[in-house]
Amino acid sequence: MNSLIRRHRPTTAVLAALALTATASACGSGSGGTNTGGGDSGTYTIWDPYPQFAKGSDWAKLLDKCGSDAGVKIKRTAFDTSDLANKSLLAAQQDNSPDVLIVDNPVVSTLAEAGVLTSTDETKLDTSKTDPNLLAAGQSGGKTYGTPIGANTLALYYNKDVLKDAGIDIASVKDWASLTAALDKAEKAGKKGITFSAIGTEEGSFQFLPWFWGAGAELTAVDSAKSEAALTLWSDWLKKGYAPNSVLNNTQTTSWQEFESGQYAFAENGTWQLAGAEKATFEYGVLPIPGQSGGTAAAPTGGEFVTMPVQSDTGRYATSQKLVTCLTSTQNLLATDTTLSYVAPTAEVQDKQVAANAKLGPWVDAVKAAKGRTDDLGTKYPKISEQLWKAVQSALSGAKSPKDALSAAQEAAAK
Amino acid sequence: MSTTQGPLTRPALDVPRDRTAGPRGAAKPVRKRRPTSQQLAAWAFLAPVALYLVLFYAYPLYRNIDLSLRHYTVRSFVQGDAPFTGLANYRTVFEDPAFAPALLHTILFTTVCLVFQYVMGLALAVFFHRNFRLSATLRALFLVPWLLPLIVSASTWSWMLNSDSGIVNAALHAIGIDPVNWLTSPTWSLTAVILANIWIGVPFNLVVLYSGLQNIPAGLYEAAALDGAGPWRRFWSITFPLLRPVSAITLLLGLVYTLKVFDIIWIMTKGGPAESSTTFATWSYQLGFGNLVPAFGPGAAVGNLLVIAALVFGLIYVRVQRKQAES
Amino acid sequence: MTTALAKRTRNTRSWGRTAVGLLLTAVMLFPVYWMVNVSFTRAEDMRKSPPNLFPFEGTLSGYRTVLDQQLPYLGTSFVIGLGTVVLTVALAAPAGYALAKLRPRGGGLLGFLLLVAQMIPGIIMAMGFYAIYLQLGLLQSVPGLIVADSTLAVPFAVLIFTAFMSGIPGELLQAAKTDGAGVVRTFWSIVLPMSRNAIVTVSLFAFLWSWSDFVFASTLVNGGAHEPITLGIYHYIGNNNQEWNAIMATAVVASLPATVILVLAQRYVAAGVTAGAVKD
Repeated sequence: MNSLIRRHRPTTAVLAALALTATASACGSGSGGTNTGGGDSGTYTIWDPYPQFAKGSDWAKLLDKCGSDAGVKIKRTAFDTSDLANKSLLAAQQDNSPDVLIVDNPVVSTLAEAGVLTSTDETKLDTSKTDPNLLAAGQSGGKTYGTPIGANTLALYYNKDVLKDAGIDIASVKDWASLTAALDKAEKAGKKGITFSAIGTEEGSFQFLPWFWGAGAELTAVDSAKSEAALTLWSDWLKKGYAPNSVLNNTQTTSWQEFESGQYAFAENGTWQLAGAEKATFEYGVLPIPGQSGGTAAAPTGGEFVTMPVQSDTGRYATSQKLVTCLTSTQNLLATDTTLSYVAPTAEVQDKQVAANAKLGPWVDAVKAAKGRTDDLGTKYPKISEQLWKAVQSALSGAKSPKDALSAAQEAAAK
Repeated sequence: MSTTQGPLTRPALDVPRDRTAGPRGAAKPVRKRRPTSQQLAAWAFLAPVALYLVLFYAYPLYRNIDLSLRHYTVRSFVQGDAPFTGLANYRTVFEDPAFAPALLHTILFTTVCLVFQYVMGLALAVFFHRNFRLSATLRALFLVPWLLPLIVSASTWSWMLNSDSGIVNAALHAIGIDPVNWLTSPTWSLTAVILANIWIGVPFNLVVLYSGLQNIPAGLYEAAALDGAGPWRRFWSITFPLLRPVSAITLLLGLVYTLKVFDIIWIMTKGGPAESSTTFATWSYQLGFGNLVPAFGPGAAVGNLLVIAALVFGLIYVRVQRKQAES
Repeated sequence: MTTALAKRTRNTRSWGRTAVGLLLTAVMLFPVYWMVNVSFTRAEDMRKSPPNLFPFEGTLSGYRTVLDQQLPYLGTSFVIGLGTVVLTVALAAPAGYALAKLRPRGGGLLGFLLLVAQMIPGIIMAMGFYAIYLQLGLLQSVPGLIVADSTLAVPFAVLIFTAFMSGIPGELLQAAKTDGAGVVRTFWSIVLPMSRNAIVTVSLFAFLWSWSDFVFASTLVNGGAHEPITLGIYHYIGNNNQEWNAIMATAVVASLPATVILVLAQRYVAAGVTAGAVKD
């Protein structure tokens, strides 16, 4: 056991002696690496970032079923995505990692670097069927650290009614200039242009990347002229009133709700809103995000990975591996990705999804063309992403010019 | 955060105690030898709280100091072999371009909140000091903002201040003022969180200062009125000077606890946009929790700076209080 | 204060003052009104500009959502609140007695430490708790959150009890001692019953603060089977939802304890804030 943990021990002993609760004494007794995250050997813990799925939801039932198939009990905890990386690190520090961890893909390489995750070589997890561009986010140093449970990406949703009123022909939207012209028309027709999420979190970077990549910029040089062009596009939209000021605080969900109000011509949002779009009071369409001078911009891959954190009791891997295999089996992937409104990571399941819902077709193509956020950068991504969303916030709020914001970002990221 | 509210109640508690409990004979007896059995009993009664203090206050603090003195990468955080680096994290924090703005915002936030809460609280206390119909009921209603869960207040304010759909901008529009991007413009975000925090803090100041006013003998006012002193004069020559001890303690404790206000800012603006409403409290959280990959060391360092600041003002508070108890 | 001056001015000025007072209260409570108003607003009117000032075309759907989804959270908060009250009183009342009446050596230092303890930012405490609880397997547990929440109230409670119990006449305790009652007996059958008002005040605040706690809840029980109402609201604002009528309806419901306490026990609230008034 490491020194930090050893230093924590006396406190534990005191607390256990206090017998504050019955559980306290149960865990204090463990000699080596206690696994209180899960409890005893018959219970396996799973952490996921899906707090929207309550007890009794299909997702929770699926976890329980996979557990009973493997002959163990499941203890599931759902965290907010933004908390999960942090909580996983703290848990790993205390040697209390969950047996199965489902986590946002850009974090996987960082967790792997920290030594939190097992590689698929160790755990004999089969990832051969998974689309390679999706699997890439979970690979680092030639090893694979998990398997995607599903994928999503971004595109432009548009409101057909608003477009009609404003006299916009969607076929004319081919590049940034024509898109901006369309926004102008919407604005002139008394409607609102576009909504997106430029919040100061990973979501903000995620939403900015299609424009960033669409300008031909690279994450290795965020202060390039191309990058500036992308940020200028966004900040000009705000200046001209094509996009609302609220984008600065919008999560992708808030932004979607703005679009649902029916006043916006366009919204940049993800695959997962598809189910919600069906319920909208207006006709909608989906358009890939255009590149600066036409074509389709690369959008980032979203979605989570199923991983297996390192345990001091390696005997647990066999069962955990069964759990992961069950969760990512063809049949279960279909069910899960339908609930999540994600695109499945394997061709086999994708075909089934499209057969069931033709509207998913364009999204499957988009996901196949999507680019992983950590592809070029690996573990450096989180740091650069943080600077990127800060730059976006600075520029859109008017605190700095796009150029200054981006050069400050590059400087901070280089440190 | 209830911690901001809880301890704030303290000056009130201590002030009247020094005033009224003192003369009753129980407090401040002549120093005499304390029998050992009584000492034992006393510490038996205190033991749970003492243990509690060590476990739940001292340990987190110790841990935070330890965090701030080591160099953590994600790997060394997990493996526990982070090297001791002395004050390097503090240097990082001081050299961070975000340091100066965060310091400025912390000072601005704290001072502006304190001044407004105090002035408004005092004005209202004086206003309510004259009994009138419904005065007790209305005074009670004024407590509502202070009693609401902070997450409730913060969400309500962020919706009221929403640029496009908020009632505040709608009202401004009605009187011909252009909408203000309260939460999304770097010029206004700090004002927005200050506004909300003042709203939450006024009731407390009102109640404490009101109770202070009640301790001022009414006779003084009558005498002054007979001498022909107007209300303004009476306020400056009687109310304000006699209220000074209560005021000092209210302000000092307010200072200590406004320093660590976190929930309001985090829920309303997350310290943004572009760090324009970042204070030390939110910065510490941002470093430790707000990013994909946490910077535990610097985050803890910022937290400790806050603790030190709070400690300094806390000591001043204790001194002031002791002085008042003596006089 | 029925001074001659006050009497003379009362009749002429009183209604004027009441009017001003009403106006001030209305301004102060506007955000609360707005919360209620939004809680009744239909989703499609939510982003209307200008917003509806009155919920005439209101909907109860926000409240229906609360009933559907938030009841367990409310129940959890209630249990946690009660637990915090019990723990706080159990820890603080004896300590207050010792500090007020038994003059322990080092008591002053302890009092000072209690004061300082409150100055540690909540988030640092939360980190410490997280580390401890992770090892003990107390994360996502109700007892764990009760212990954490009690740290919000214990220092305050000790000080209230100390202040209050200082006011209990020494002769009374001396008499009990002469009758042969030990320290514990004296505490249990004389001091505690006499401190009823202080207990009520402490309980009210302990309940209210644990009910309002967000930092501990989000660090220690987020994602657990039993989450308090503040997390219920946060989940709405967070990843999944931004239905403001449901958020505000939850907020209204979450504010109910504060309101009830204010109506039923206003005297004690004011007493807690200005502890001098406790002694009656």
